[in-house]
Amino acid sequence: MTIIPPYLKPGNTIGIVCPAGYMPLQKAQTCIETLSGWGFKVIPGRTLGHQFNYFSGTDKERLRDFQHMMDDKNIDAILCGRGGYGTGRIIDKLDFTKFIQRPKWIVGFSDITILHNHLFSNYKIASLHAPMAAAFNDGEYNNQYIQSLHNALIGKKADYKTEGNILDQQGDAKGVLVGGNLSLLVNAIGTFSDIKTKNKILFIEDIGEYIYNVDRMMYQLKRSRKLDGLKGLIVGRFSDMKDTTIPFGQTTEEVLKDLVKDYNFPVSFGFPVSHDKENYALKIGVKYKLNVDKGLVELRED
Amino acid sequence: MNRKDFLAAVVPLATAATSFTKENPFSKSSHLKRIPPYLKKGDTIGITCPSGYISLEECQSAIKKMQEWGFNIRVGMTVGLKNFTFAGSDDARAKDLQQMMDDPSIKAIMLGRGGYGAVRMIDKIDFTKFKKNPKWIIGFSDATVFHCHISQNFGIATLHSKMCNSFPDDFLTAAQTQIDTIDSIRDCLIGEKMKYERLPIAENRSGTGTGELVGGNLSIIQMMDGSVSNLKTDGKILFIEDVGEYAYKIDGMLWNLKRSNKLNKLKGLIIGEFRIKPDDAGEEFGKTIYEMVMEKIQKYHYPVCFDFPVGHVKENYALKCGVRHKLIVSQQATILEQI
Repeated sequence: MTIIPPYLKPGNTIGIVCPAGYMPLQKAQTCIETLSGWGFKVIPGRTLGHQFNYFSGTDKERLRDFQHMMDDKNIDAILCGRGGYGTGRIIDKLDFTKFIQRPKWIVGFSDITILHNHLFSNYKIASLHAPMAAAFNDGEYNNQYIQSLHNALIGKKADYKTEGNILDQQGDAKGVLVGGNLSLLVNAIGTFSDIKTKNKILFIEDIGEYIYNVDRMMYQLKRSRKLDGLKGLIVGRFSDMKDTTIPFGQTTEEVLKDLVKDYNFPVSFGFPVSHDKENYALKIGVKYKLNVDKGLVELRED
Repeated sequence: MNRKDFLAAVVPLATAATSFTKENPFSKSSHLKRIPPYLKKGDTIGITCPSGYISLEECQSAIKKMQEWGFNIRVGMTVGLKNFTFAGSDDARAKDLQQMMDDPSIKAIMLGRGGYGAVRMIDKIDFTKFKKNPKWIIGFSDATVFHCHISQNFGIATLHSKMCNSFPDDFLTAAQTQIDTIDSIRDCLIGEKMKYERLPIAENRSGTGTGELVGGNLSIIQMMDGSVSNLKTDGKILFIEDVGEYAYKIDGMLWNLKRSNKLNKLKGLIIGEFRIKPDDAGEEFGKTIYEMVMEKIQKYHYPVCFDFPVGHVKENYALKCGVRHKLIVSQQATILEQI
């Protein structure tokens, strides 16, 4: 059974921390105001607005900030400011002893994928794959995807409906949801942050990759038997894909379709989970029902 | 590894001078049964393309040179075959390699070029005959798929070296290092015991280690993780190289090596050339390859050398994967020798 951290109530406190790339404080301003508007107290961590080269502080600083947020009894949930790269550099130094005793929601995506799957694989603790601080900017603070984060935090069960895609493979599935950024998922293979996918619903998304590299990563999923025994697959958006001088000859969607067409499980293409604003909050480690129908896809918390 | 860069001109290296020495051929080896037969004059080398497209014309220089060495050349049907970026369909590429592997008259197989595609066809290959009658598979970059898979599953040695696309068009005007690296392929194939010497650099970690040499392209090694081709490195000397990746990606892949226990029981670590893609403005990663590597292996004591002449550069010497080597890293020199 998955351990579900306590849902938030008004008056609870959300800490904002940056375990990876640098984020200027002002870029988190709308997020802080919105979270406050939802009735939460917000405590910015020391890494928010702090910079060390590419990172939001040295490994030590990022580690200390995250550790503090996990261990501090006054913090009820942790929202990552942004992804980028760097969570994998500190994850093995994090001490989860107190966190296991007092789990709390950890919110983020992209580079945070490693943390989501590490938590679920090792401690069976659910976490939240959802928009981060920057997604609140540019007038988007109240869109349905930001709202889905709010709903997830307060324990309102999700029921997402979206248009079907011509590439979809129809069917129904029920299973624990795992997944995240494809590059990070394959990077964790062979390590103890790796996820087991058997009998689960897997979702993937990515950004800025070469098409051939998506193909390569999908072959790794296939050859490491992560597609065998899946209950369902949710293909999110693959944003800003690049092609090589000699064209690969397939779109990213065609690459993905080619790799999954021989499997019987339902597959949804273009589901709103991505680096774009279309990014529904998804609870990793929690059971969902996936219905892929002609023209309509529904993902509902069980 | 960024495929886009494969055809780009290689950059000249501003590293210390290299001397390249050879010892007399040795006929005996304690691991002989795992090493494919070395080649004799009149033997046939097959050329096939399991990955990216290359024209027959671009292979001519390699064909001519290997004929000069006294070998016959058989050109596979994937040479010149084109399916977008690939040298034909997955099935066509698998069939061509399969035929070359199973044909007893072919004694070694050189790949036309790297690129991308080996992983798409390797599971279609039947290694039954190859296991019984091993032959040298020659290539690097995407060919790391074969190096890993063959090492892991069959314990058969392979040759990590330049491929057809790296033979200079004109050997008379080619740089000496280019000629030397091409010659190193021949020397390996005819069974010479290889020995490479290099001047020391400050970032190296001194020591001596002995073990089977394994390795190749870092992106590919990570991609083999979790599969039947996964490379095991315990008790071995590992070499890695990569091209065209951002520093943060290299760092992430090095963490994958560390976290998948590929760095903890090494006998030695050889860092080849990493032609790292420059950081985007404002995204400066701030760590060199030396720092990225050393921070992950601080607590181990095996020898480490940097800037070894292997990778997507002109100085890319032939290395026998799966063969025992001794790595000596000292303040006087770095020596990698076959034992």
